[in-house]
This record gives sequence, structure tokens and C-alpha cells, in this order.
Amino acid sequence: MVSLGLVFDQLITGLTIGARLFLIAVGLSLIFGVLDVLNFAHGVLYMIGAYAALWAIGAVSIPFIGLLGIGFWPGLVVAILAAGLVGVLIEAGFIRRVYDREPLDQLLLTFAFVLMLTDVVKTTFGSGSNVVDPPGLLAGSLTLTSSLSLPNYRAFVILMSIVVLAAIFVVLQTTNVGRLVRATSSDRDMAALLGVNVPRLYTVVFFVGAALAGLGGALAVPTQSITPALGNQVIINAFVIAVIGGLGSFAGAFVGAYLVGISIAVGSLIVAGAGQLIPFIAMIVVLLLKPEGLFGGAEA
Amino acid sequence: MSVLTLEDVNSYYGNSHILFDLDLEVEQNEVVALLGRNGAGKTTTLRTITGTVPRREGRIEFRGEDIADDSVDKISNRGVKLVPEERRIFPTLTVTENMQVARDMSSGNPRDIQEMYDVFPVLDELRENRGRNLSGGEQQMLSVARALIQDPDLLLLDEPTEGLAPVIVDDLYDVLSEVVAEDVTVVITEQNVDFALELSERAYIIEKGANAWGGTVDELNEREDLLDEYLSVGGAEAD
Repeated sequence: MVSLGLVFDQLITGLTIGARLFLIAVGLSLIFGVLDVLNFAHGVLYMIGAYAALWAIGAVSIPFIGLLGIGFWPGLVVAILAAGLVGVLIEAGFIRRVYDREPLDQLLLTFAFVLMLTDVVKTTFGSGSNVVDPPGLLAGSLTLTSSLSLPNYRAFVILMSIVVLAAIFVVLQTTNVGRLVRATSSDRDMAALLGVNVPRLYTVVFFVGAALAGLGGALAVPTQSITPALGNQVIINAFVIAVIGGLGSFAGAFVGAYLVGISIAVGSLIVAGAGQLIPFIAMIVVLLLKPEGLFGGAEA
Repeated sequence: MSVLTLEDVNSYYGNSHILFDLDLEVEQNEVVALLGRNGAGKTTTLRTITGTVPRREGRIEFRGEDIADDSVDKISNRGVKLVPEERRIFPTLTVTENMQVARDMSSGNPRDIQEMYDVFPVLDELRENRGRNLSGGEQQMLSVARALIQDPDLLLLDEPTEGLAPVIVDDLYDVLSEVVAEDVTVVITEQNVDFALELSERAYIIEKGANAWGGTVDELNEREDLLDEYLSVGGAEAD
């Protein structure tokens, strides 16, 4: 018999996974929505964020450079910048040259970065798994009842995903830059005719999308064991989320990420090992009944 | 002084050679019509000026400066603004937002949005409507307003009356005749020859991507043979 406490724990775990997946899926959606590029390397940017955070915390060292060891909170900034800058290098250096090519070319190009960057990280940090404790500020749990408790750190990760969703929404809908991004995403040629430097705007958007993945990776560090294969694991789920929610939709990314996160965690209670299966079943059902995704066709 | 000079300009889409050694001269505050049949190269001429064709060769000068190698946004920021044939209203943005984007991106002294609503009262009533919900005429008004708000030095109008009901064409004529009375230089392409010639002082006729004729509108009005030969006025619509 499954106890209430176990279900609750798995639910919290699912929400935490959902929050992390959302931070990948939202960047993937942002980049697809504005640049029209499906970035296969997005999971790798998440993984790079995770390793940057590990390095900043002092859990891993870089050959010839050594440990950084500045702690978790500055580590979040390091992770955001590391993933963002790698993203900018990929976009400005390479993807920019294939905007007018077929989607398959773009996918292959970004897949090449998956292979290369995974190996770079493996060579730099080794392929072992790394686990660290949550920062002291968020250690411990909030006790709800005698059998139910909510780990502070997990609550923080879930909160962060909501903050990011709200921030993206506010920026896109109420600021001048957001308006410019919405205009450019719907018609980049007309935006250029009005004087928008479209390549520069694309680079900024790619930075933001990559930085969000980096943030997700850094936040994952105290709740997940980190290996160089992490990028490949998460990108599959991110694409499943994109299909379920509707690619380019932020609300879809949010709902899809939490659906997938919860079904992974709670599903494993029902049938051992079924957790990973349920998102794919959900994806197939969505593809059959509403191929554009739950929030597809709606405005991003 | 010439605002715009095209000399021996050739343009290409991929392997298709569209413009052949085209020449064009536009003076300050002048309104110049580009006439010709559908497919003659009028739109490509405007796209060549704005930098939106894939490849162009020859001399293209704006206010004496070479713009042949400039990017689209850079040419726009010099003050060259296109009202494209397809209107290209941002569909998910409201009428006001469409104008705000243009205003934010303006490199000179943008006009106030309210000023545009005074010029286009029909848009005033649609402020919060999304671009995709506008009629063709409303989209055309907004497309013109969006260009005007950026206070252009050179306004390029590509087939502004295309697909519009006659009553809307009249409204558009009223607005544009006010616009051209101010100190703005305009190049206009039109299938609707009467509309273009009413607004213009000089005209060029383009045929198969090359210059066929150039002169004043008064001269052109004397030359029915030209209208017959190149513009099929009164005859069967060639396209």
C-alpha cells in the first residue's frame, strides 16, 4: 500500500522536475518562437549550467584553472553567464549562417554541438556523477503534518519557475523590448524594414534562452546527480513537453513541463519504471488528438 | 540635390536576373511614380533600394552616400521607409503596438501616435484591435501610418491601392495627398496609373526590369502611345 506521505513526496519531486524542465522548455520555446530554430543543443546548455554551478560551488575543478569555490548563490550567476555565453557563441558563430536553410540543417548543426560540448565537458570534468547539498539558507524542510514535509530547496526551485514564467510574460507584454521581440518573431523582414537590427536581437534572445537553461541546470545541482549525459536526457523530455504544450507557447511549456515532471515521479509509484513511459504516451495522445499541442496556435 | 540615385543597377533572386542596368533619380520633395505591368520589376526596384533583394549590383546612393552594401535595418535607419505591397502588419500586435514598435525604432524625430490617429481617424477607433483582425483597407492605413510615424526622408509606397475598395482608395488618396504636400520625398508604384499620376510630378516606366521611359507626368499624359504600349490602359489587363 502506498502511503499518503510517499505520494506527497513524489508529487513534490515531480513538481521539482517539472520546474527544472520548464526552464529548459521555456528557452527552447522562446528560441523557436522568435528565431524559428529548433535548438537541439538546449539540453547541453542546461548541463553546462549545472557544471558551471558545480565548479562555482567548488565540487569540481577545471584542469589548469582549479576550483572556484565561491558558493551556491554566486554560482547561479556563473551558470547563467556560462550557458548564455556558450549560447551566444553557437548562435552568432554558427546558427546565424543557416537561418535560411532547411530545418534539418539547423537540427544537424545544433546536434553537432550536443556531441562536441558533451565531450568537452566529459574531458574537462570527467564522467562521474556529482551531488551537492542545497545551500545553507535553504537547508531543512517545512513540516506540514507529522508525515508530510516540504523541503525548502524544492519549494524554492518550484517558486523560481513561476517567477521566470511571470517575468517572461511581463517583459514580453509590457516592455518596449518585449514588443520588439513579438513584432520580430511574427515578421522579421518587416521588423528590419522598420530599422530593427534582427541578427543582434536574435543573439540577445538566444542568450536569454540559453541563460534560462543554465539557470535550470544550476538549480538542478542539489536535487539531481549531474553527469555529462544530462544534456541528452533532458532534451528528450524538453521536446516531449514542446509537443504536449505546443512549441512556441510559454503557457504550454509551463503546463507541459509540470505534467511531464509529475507523471515521471508519480508514475513510478504506480508501476515501477513506468515514470519515463507516461510522458511519451501523453505525447502520442496529444499528437493524435491535437497535433498542434495543448496551447499550440495560441499566442506565445 | 538628388535624394536617391540608382545607376546601372542589377538585381537578382537566386539565378533569376530581375533588374537590368536600371537608372533612377529622385529629387528632394519630389513624388515619383514607377509604372509598368505586373512583373515588370517595380516591386523589385523598391526592394533593391531597401536592401531586401538577395543580390544587387550597381550604384545606389541616398543623399550622396553609397548604400549598396548596407543592411536593411541600416538603410531604414538612414530614413528610407517602405510601405510594402503586402502591408506586413504585425498580426499579433494591436494597432497601437504596431505604431509603437515603429516609433521605438525610429532613428530621427518620430511623430506622436496621437498625430497619426488624427490623420487616420479610422485607426483611432481600432487602437486595441490586433493587426490580423483589420480589413485590407485598415491594414493599408496602418502600414502607411507606421511608416509616417518614423518621419521618413524617403517614403516608398508599393502598390498602396491594391485590393482596396474604391471608397477606401479615395480615403487613401486624401491622406497621401496631404502627406506629399509636406516635405517628404516619395516613390510610388501602382497598377492604378491614374492614382499614381494624380499624386506624382514625374514618372518612370519600367518594362522587363529595365528603363522604358522617364519624364514628367505632364509629358506622359500627352503620350497615349506609351500608356497603351507599356501600361495597357483601356486595353485588356495584360496580366
